[in-house]
Amino acid sequence: MVSTLQQENIPVNFKAKKFLVWLFVVSSTIMFGGWTSYYLVFMASKGKGHGLVLPEVFTYSTGALLISSVCLFLAARALKSGNRSKQRMFLWVTFILGIVFGVMQFQGWTSLYQTGAVLVNNNAAISMIYVVSGFHLLHIVAGLGFVLSSLIGSYKNITQDVAEYRQDITSIFWHFIDILWIYLYVFLLLNS
Amino acid sequence: MSTISLHDTHHDDHGHGHHHETFLTKYVFSQDHKMIAKQFLITGIIMAVIAMLLSILFRLQLAWPDKTFPLLETFLGKWAEGGRIKPDFFLALVTIHGTIMVFFVLTAGLSGTFSNLLIPLQIGARDMASPFMNMLSYWFFLVACIIMMSSFFIQTGPASGGWTIYPPLSAVPKAMPGSQLGMTLWLISMVIFVASSLIGSLNYVSTILNMRTKGMDLWKMPLTIWALFLTAILGILSFPVLVSGVVLLIFDRSFGTSFYLSDLVFGTEILPNEGGSPILWQHLFWFLGHPEVYIVIMPALGISSEIISVNSRKPIFGYHAMVYSLIGITVLSFIVWGHHMFVTGMNPLLGGVFMITTLIIAVPSAVKTFNYLATLWRGNIRFTPAMLFAIGLVSFFISGGLTGIFLGNASLDINLHDTYFVVAHFHLVMGSAAIFGMLAGVYHWFPKMFGRMMNPKLAYLHFWLTFICAYLVFFPLHFLGLDGVPRRYYAFTEFEFMNKWLTVNVFVTWSAIIAALAQVAFLFNFFYSIFRGKKATQNPWEANTLEWTTPVEHLHGNWPGEIPAVYRWPYDYSKPGADQDFILQTTPFSETMSSNLPHDFEGNEEAERIQKEWEAKNKPVQE
Repeated sequence: MVSTLQQENIPVNFKAKKFLVWLFVVSSTIMFGGWTSYYLVFMASKGKGHGLVLPEVFTYSTGALLISSVCLFLAARALKSGNRSKQRMFLWVTFILGIVFGVMQFQGWTSLYQTGAVLVNNNAAISMIYVVSGFHLLHIVAGLGFVLSSLIGSYKNITQDVAEYRQDITSIFWHFIDILWIYLYVFLLLNS
Repeated sequence: MSTISLHDTHHDDHGHGHHHETFLTKYVFSQDHKMIAKQFLITGIIMAVIAMLLSILFRLQLAWPDKTFPLLETFLGKWAEGGRIKPDFFLALVTIHGTIMVFFVLTAGLSGTFSNLLIPLQIGARDMASPFMNMLSYWFFLVACIIMMSSFFIQTGPASGGWTIYPPLSAVPKAMPGSQLGMTLWLISMVIFVASSLIGSLNYVSTILNMRTKGMDLWKMPLTIWALFLTAILGILSFPVLVSGVVLLIFDRSFGTSFYLSDLVFGTEILPNEGGSPILWQHLFWFLGHPEVYIVIMPALGISSEIISVNSRKPIFGYHAMVYSLIGITVLSFIVWGHHMFVTGMNPLLGGVFMITTLIIAVPSAVKTFNYLATLWRGNIRFTPAMLFAIGLVSFFISGGLTGIFLGNASLDINLHDTYFVVAHFHLVMGSAAIFGMLAGVYHWFPKMFGRMMNPKLAYLHFWLTFICAYLVFFPLHFLGLDGVPRRYYAFTEFEFMNKWLTVNVFVTWSAIIAALAQVAFLFNFFYSIFRGKKATQNPWEANTLEWTTPVEHLHGNWPGEIPAVYRWPYDYSKPGADQDFILQTTPFSETMSSNLPHDFEGNEEAERIQKEWEAKNKPVQE
């Protein structure tokens, strides 16, 4: 009955776990899809969007996030070539840029608030700006957690396998939230 | 739990590093998928009993609207002052009954139990992709249950806007008592529940796609796995939309935004909210809500496919058609949500589109039904308790499914919408059918879960009483609905034309009470058999699937040695020429030369040649 299969010693299946992150990306995309669909239907039925000129700082935060993604890519490449200290350096830059992004989002909300486009608004499209950017920022916080786990790994003496696994899930998640923000920003720009 | 004795000697064999398990790591914070399955099942059963008792309470009100039951006041206090259930509490009862049954019993209790139990066992994996997340999934579920139940212990009572929590009732706290703290708790509970469900689904999909044993390609998976797989995909694609809807609802309730609210007047007070639309909630809700009903029924369909095939001692009829119909249902379920909204002022053209997509679902559903019947046809049927429940599912699926065709028609739905016809329809097709699928699964895999058998006599009693009473409860409701009796009405006798239905309601309530009592037979059987049931053999139903190759005693890692490889599909029952009427998936074709068929080799010429040589040598001898 029991066949000749190689002794499998698989306490952790990295491939399966990495796939979990991909699936999470899918479900998260759909959550944001729910909100942007709400927005489209709202706009179609009310004949109006948020009607604002989005704060300039959102452009800068987008730039920061883009550069952070590039840095994370370089970190992954450094790890592949076995250069842990270089990986660590790029991870730190990613981490700091992530925090810069968060600060800029707060600045963006502040300037929205100052122009009177507040969260509690009779135009749900304006409230939606806060909802999507707020939940995106929550994703950034989670992403910073992933970056941190890679960073901690780079200080500890973990095996190349584990280090690459951590770096991989960090990359999947971070690039996803980068692309997600670009989608949301462009969406909000186009549907004003 | 005396039956679960872990054999530590086996442990060291495959180096899992779990040497000393304490009570806490073994039963409470377990990361073993089999234990998590039991946790899901027992929590699900407890929630089902609670939801059933809630339904009996509101059925009392419907049958005897003017009678007082002093006993109710003893138990429910101010919610049944003078022995009569209050209107607010009646609404809370129907709301929480629906919520618990749909989400906590038939989603978590059903999918959670059988995905956890069967996915690693039937695909040949040591455990889930992430056992830790699996544990988390259960604990989120339990916390969600506790928060939902806690709303019975607060001043204003549980949420009472119906399980679909349509705004504005759900979005304006002062709308009614049940819109206050109870609604908040409902929303918190549901967010945690969705987290649990998503974590679970991610795990199931990743495990199925990445961790199958050698030889287990997708087309060799049992239909249970296919159903659980597609159910998990549905969950991943639809639950996030509920989260986005619920988040906006929370903003409306707690922060004063106007996503769903506009032009509301309370007495003399005009609410400040403006510009939102409650219809948008319905869109977001039903984009989850409709796939949700397939999340409920598909695992049950998968379970009954397996059980019907095993107990008919025949291959499942149309294995590929069964899979494709599940895929068809999965895809279609995302483009039919509008049929819940035919009366919201929807553009008739759009209504027509939703009507067509809805009616198309009848095709894969009918394929499944006919395949069940064709599998039973001329089978060597063994009427085990699980088999009876699986056949019961087919019966409910047919009788409830037919009324779905009525309701899917926009023009008919305008008359039937929100009447007892709808209640009758979904209680048969997804309520009773899914519960029967779940019970079938429990009876079938009980030996796998607890190493003991359930008592068949009590099980037969349980089946017949439940089966008959379920029809007696739900069938008459069709006629109430056709006459226009609306659902969720507390005092329907206030309307003269509905008075004639009082006697029917009395009948329905008595049937419901008997059905509830019948569950005592199950509960006793279940809990008694865990400790005192007859010891199970390794493969009590003589089934082909992998889970029956594991030892009766549970091990962490499932198989003591290597994970067995798989050589054939799981439905080789009564194969002509075979020695036995079942051939395990782990039996290579080289051991079953007398029963191999040309198409078994999937075009492998070498294997075909060997088979031909063998036949040339052996066939004449047999004659």
